Amino acid sequence: DWLCSQTLLHAGAEREMKQLIMQRSAVHLESDAFLVCMNHALSTEKEEVMGLCIGEVEINRIVHIHSVIILRRSDKRKDRVEISPEQLSAASTEAERLADMTGKPMRVVGWYHSHPHITVWPSHVDVRTQAMYQMLDQGFVGLIFSCFIEDKNTKTGRVLYTCFQSVQAQKGSEYERVEIPVHVVPRDAIGKVCLESAVELPRILCQEEQDTYRKIHNLSHLDPITKIHNGSNRPNRPIRVLG
Amino acid sequence: MYHLLMGIIECAAAGGSGIDGDVSIMAASISGYTFSSVCFHSANSNSDHEGFLLGEVRQEETVSISDTQISTAELLQVVEIHNHDPCAQLFSFYDYAGKVNEDNLNRILKDRRKSVIGWYRFRRNTQQQMSFREQIIHKQLTQLLGVPDLVFLLFSFISTANSSTHALEYVLFRPNRRYNQRITLTIPNLGNTSQQEYKVSSVPNTSLNYAKVIKEHGAEFFDKDGVMKDIRTIFQVYSALQDKVQAVCGEVEQSERVKEKIQEDVNKLKQQIALRKRKTAEEERRLREAQNAESHPTSEENSEPSETSLLSRVAFHAPSAPERPGTSPNPPSYSDLLSQEDSLLSSSSSPTSAALLPRPQAVGSPGHPTPGPLGMGLGLSLGLGLGLGDSSEYENLVSEAAHLPMVSASVLAQGRPAALSPDGDARGSQTS
Repeated sequence: DWLCSQTLLHAGAEREMKQLIMQRSAVHLESDAFLVCMNHALSTEKEEVMGLCIGEVEINRIVHIHSVIILRRSDKRKDRVEISPEQLSAASTEAERLADMTGKPMRVVGWYHSHPHITVWPSHVDVRTQAMYQMLDQGFVGLIFSCFIEDKNTKTGRVLYTCFQSVQAQKGSEYERVEIPVHVVPRDAIGKVCLESAVELPRILCQEEQDTYRKIHNLSHLDPITKIHNGSNRPNRPIRVLG
Repeated sequence: MYHLLMGIIECAAAGGSGIDGDVSIMAASISGYTFSSVCFHSANSNSDHEGFLLGEVRQEETVSISDTQISTAELLQVVEIHNHDPCAQLFSFYDYAGKVNEDNLNRILKDRRKSVIGWYRFRRNTQQQMSFREQIIHKQLTQLLGVPDLVFLLFSFISTANSSTHALEYVLFRPNRRYNQRITLTIPNLGNTSQQEYKVSSVPNTSLNYAKVIKEHGAEFFDKDGVMKDIRTIFQVYSALQDKVQAVCGEVEQSERVKEKIQEDVNKLKQQIALRKRKTAEEERRLREAQNAESHPTSEENSEPSETSLLSRVAFHAPSAPERPGTSPNPPSYSDLLSQEDSLLSSSSSPTSAALLPRPQAVGSPGHPTPGPLGMGLGLSLGLGLGLGDSSEYENLVSEAAHLPMVSASVLAQGRPAALSPDGDARGSQTS
């Protein structure tokens, strides 16, 4: 029994040590990448948006995020912010392209999503999702942008952002959030990659809208009046974003 | 019971309609891109940041009719912020006394002056109240710009003790109204438009006449493939817009690279100037030492300046009512200031520009780190409503610390960690 308990203690300490080693000490988010995240988060208050962060990890365990990739959400239910393997693969390809462009070892280092009208802290689903990503990359970080918050009494609006990772106190226990310091690093000018990401938003919205409309259009049982209604409804979103 | 009939009539911006109404209610909106852009410029600033809000103001009239048949009209003033014009630095159009210089204002705004509907300020770790200087400036801007209901948007940035969570609070003030009225600022987005969802089912209709009419007129809406004609047209509009955005993106990218290059050159020149000043200071020090050695060969060479003279060189001068020249010089960056202070400590040179800089003021400080701010910062740690008096005392404290990587989070902790608690969750608890 004593041997068992010692083994468990040792295993627990080892796990904790591993988690501590891989835990990031801080995240430095370049201000132009921050701009893209804010734009994306503020694009809709009806659903959560998400994307991936591309950057490099410095020797002192600081993650430096140089740019972000806006992602399409296949499942728009609340808090379902899973990233498909295809999207991860495409993001890795983009990271390689950035690495060639900048000469720095770029890779996907984290993800971000928005919490419209919701507290900035990650939910249990978010913490578990983060833990799942950390199984692929233990240093993966998560950012959350909370927006469209207003204190009705003082008419004060708020936008918040936080950075976190997940840890498991012991095997089989619930994952818990670990706070990671995050700083926005000033940049003299907006980088090319971030500009490209920013104009990608209306394109992605258009694709989403086209996919949705195509499904609706294929419903043969709809009468013409309904089709006219749907057709009038369809095209506004991408144009509104561009406006 | 009252019947309420809402009629919304859009009027021209100034003047109002024939029905007498009181313009007492205001609604304001700012585009997400403009908001993000302000956040971007503010994040890049190592001090307070300010600028002008561009947009338009229009009036909407709502008419309500009650059972008593007395119609009451209410004029709703709608402010739409389309863009912003950031100021390159503080004190660019006003001085320390808050006096606005109209020439500088015109130089900054140029032909955008007529689109100005307000101005904004970004501060770190301060309360959401207008400072006295801001109120003075606002009054003058109201008169100079000829905008009677000029608005003021205040951004305040606070962080948790460990810098893992940050909050940007914003309040839109209507200072020219009684009690410095606050207005709700909305950010129009795709989620709050009145777009209806797609319908996936139709109301069944077996009427033959209905089917006949629809069949006759259906061709006006659908093309031979059964696709709505408008869809193709609107897709063409979208494609044209996307192409334009792409083209503008290319232009912006080029201008950003030019800006980057220029900033790089400016930084190099600043370094060269700082290096030259250090060398000059070194040479003067050696010369003075040589002179001292000649005049007092027995006395110990005083390589370190006396404490009093050191303090007089390092301390900032604070004129009672400092007036900056019309064109304010660029304030030194945090790193330049540190290097200048280092050179002062090791030399006995004449006061450098660092010593001649005005004492960091509460409002509109160019961002120097104030020595020993932590004592004052502690007083700030308690959030709103503490009766801390004039918030201007605490403005711009350790403002640049938030943007220096690896800076100790304890300094930021003097913000409002207690207030930065989890916001009320609209869904209730965090459990999914």
